[in-house]
Amino acid sequence: MIKVRIPTPLRPLTKGQGEVDAQAGTIVEMIDTLNASHPGIKDRLCDDTGELRRFVNIYVNEEDIRFLKGKETSLKDGDEVSIVPAIAGGTSCRT
Amino acid sequence: MADLVIPQSILDQMVAHARELDPYECCGLLAGTNGAVTHVYRIKNIVALEGAEKLSSFDPAKVAHLERLSPAERAEIAFVMDMQDFSVAKKDIRSKGLDLQVVYHSHPHDPARPSITDIKIATDYEEVWPKINLPIPAYLLISLMEKSKPDIRGYWIRGGIVTQAHITTTSL
Repeated sequence: MIKVRIPTPLRPLTKGQGEVDAQAGTIVEMIDTLNASHPGIKDRLCDDTGELRRFVNIYVNEEDIRFLKGKETSLKDGDEVSIVPAIAGGTSCRT
Repeated sequence: MADLVIPQSILDQMVAHARELDPYECCGLLAGTNGAVTHVYRIKNIVALEGAEKLSSFDPAKVAHLERLSPAERAEIAFVMDMQDFSVAKKDIRSKGLDLQVVYHSHPHDPARPSITDIKIATDYEEVWPKINLPIPAYLLISLMEKSKPDIRGYWIRGGIVTQAHITTTSL
């Protein structure tokens, strides 16, 4: 079983859970598994071609999958995956 | 003792970055050791990309506001870091044996103090830094309200509380 850390902006899709378990052999499988139990999550993480969006990083045990095998990165029992949203901010809202 | 020691040349590079992107917000990272900054990394602001506002911890009011604006207008009031650039920078910081010290961004039209959005996202991010093996950084803001006199200020944001970070400038 893989532990997946869900960031605050995606928690509305996981009923508020900050961590969910998934059974998967690769990142692609993990995203599909998560999307089956929490519909909509894949669309937030991947673009229309299935590539990881530029405003999200996925880390497997603290290593960025962009420096592993991307979405084909393999996972094994006990791995911890963190979905990390982009650092962001900006001026207060004006009307 | 100063919280951050930053060479004037690096402050100049950040101001140049802010001016190049004005009226849009710029963003980047500073790295070094124990508060002494030695390297600057520019990161692309990708707030204009479709869907970026939804995965960036913006509060619902900010998302609604951003969605009413054109992509160019969005970049005047917000930044979202390109996480590909961020990852490349993180790898370089590690390979040089340095640590992340500062996350910076500009406020082209507003004062150099964290907005409610800045504070919320920094607070959400506190639990992320240890997961990606980085220390909680200071936040640095560059205001271009007075174009000829940029204002740079540093802050610590912990648990939603903002305190000023003292910056010492060196001539190197």
